[in-house]
Amino acid sequence: MTTNLDKKALVVGAGLAGMEAAIKIGQAGYEVYLVEKENTMGGVTGQLFSSFPRWENPRELVDNRIQTINQIEKIRVLTTTTVQSARREGEAFVVDLQKADGQVEQVAADAVVLATGFELMDVSVYGEYGYGIYPNVVNSLEFEDKLREWSAAGSKADRPKSIAFFKCVGSRDRSKGNPYCSKICCMYTAKQAGLTKDLLPEAKAYVFYMDYRAAGKEYEEFVRSVIETKHVRYVRGRPSKVLPENGRLVVRAEDTLMGVPIEVEVDMVVLASAIVPREGTRVLAGMFGALTDQYGFIENVPFELRQTGNGVFFAGACGFAVETAGAQAQGAAAAADVVALFNRVPQGVK
Amino acid sequence: MAMVDYYRPLRLNQIDSSLQEEIKRTCGVDVELCLECGKCTGGCSNAHIFDLTPRKIVQLVKLGDEKRLLNMDSLWTCVSCQLCVDRCPSHIDIPRIMDYMREKARKKNVRAQRESIEIFHELMLDSIRKTGRVAEAPLALKHNLRTRQYFKDAELGGRMFFKGKLNPLSPKVKNVKQVKDLFAQTIDKKEG
Repeated sequence: MTTNLDKKALVVGAGLAGMEAAIKIGQAGYEVYLVEKENTMGGVTGQLFSSFPRWENPRELVDNRIQTINQIEKIRVLTTTTVQSARREGEAFVVDLQKADGQVEQVAADAVVLATGFELMDVSVYGEYGYGIYPNVVNSLEFEDKLREWSAAGSKADRPKSIAFFKCVGSRDRSKGNPYCSKICCMYTAKQAGLTKDLLPEAKAYVFYMDYRAAGKEYEEFVRSVIETKHVRYVRGRPSKVLPENGRLVVRAEDTLMGVPIEVEVDMVVLASAIVPREGTRVLAGMFGALTDQYGFIENVPFELRQTGNGVFFAGACGFAVETAGAQAQGAAAAADVVALFNRVPQGVK
Repeated sequence: MAMVDYYRPLRLNQIDSSLQEEIKRTCGVDVELCLECGKCTGGCSNAHIFDLTPRKIVQLVKLGDEKRLLNMDSLWTCVSCQLCVDRCPSHIDIPRIMDYMREKARKKNVRAQRESIEIFHELMLDSIRKTGRVAEAPLALKHNLRTRQYFKDAELGGRMFFKGKLNPLSPKVKNVKQVKDLFAQTIDKKEG
């Protein structure tokens, strides 16, 4: 068996999944181009204030991964860079990378890992919730910034006294074209509501839910602790309307456990918006001959979980909503596929 | 205690959560542990005749709706059989909540909505006070007389009697005085 360390891999997206794939391929001794359109690595994980189910600081994880990448000579990080085009040449790809200054660099790659992540659905399509109309109606990523702000010292005068969290905004909604469950909102909403009670102990936190889906190690315990020890109030029902009233917001819903209409006055509404693929993912997938599903998430080839085309693999939320640990695991798994491809030996009959 | 306004949708921020805390403090029952699964109601021996089922009773404690809890029919038709708490995955002691709310109803002089229920409880306690036990046949007969439903359950009672399941007499326990002393210690001395 011969190992050809001349092989090169291209990883698109330097979020948690892409970083992990680059690390593992680089550690195996292959050259990696790690392309990121933003000016820093870390993706969405790097924007988060805290993580579930252990209330860890995701920044520590991201910084550790960046440090690891910086120690691996074989990884070339290209930030503020996007993939302009790609064409297949034999088994490999020739890829044009566009840099911030407009310059185009051409690289050759024998394997590609797509890790373009996700974005939140534009929930202004829900006129009844008033996102984009009322400044205090925010989506869940914007709320992570609020948590960071409240954790810093400063005036407490303008902080909300009551916050409502809406789950399934855009998820499990056929009328908006998303019948699927976005998988992680139950957990991060519990996290955000729990942190609200930690940072603003006087504030009330209401979580409107149809059910909570906590399938994972320590997940159920995490949600229960938010209810039972942090005293976040879970109200079963999907809110129907947000109305302005005396400078505050009134949420109207049904308490479906009692079958009665209810209202609650709050100062802020946090919408757990559906996880959707990034706008450019479908186009990018097309360049590499990768498969996508009806929503634009990347789809795997039969029987191969991380492969989406010939020499093309994927990891993280570009495939579907995934929690940080899952994104990291998928990154490592995609790297294993790439390394296996680079080391493929002819298989005879046993 | 902020009163619930029944002419408007319930405003969660206006309800007084003190009932939930009061029940946690005095009864040691934490309704926040409720998983809302309904196993209590599914197992309840009387849920089919309750106006509010056990799960809803726990929910009303959370909503702080003391008025409905004190006026509900279930308060007096619950027989404290303990099936709900026995089967509850969070071991929420609903019969303890019922006892507490019944005591509270008596203290606040909130009567049962149906007179026949009041009469039943009165007659039953009367029987216990006098004999130390509940004599089913005389209790049923007296209840029928007082509520003017003379032939209610007569057919069933007859069959039970001929099978030896009903004792028409009211046998006393050995030491009725001890029972009377117990009654003397209760909050509601006269009626028990």
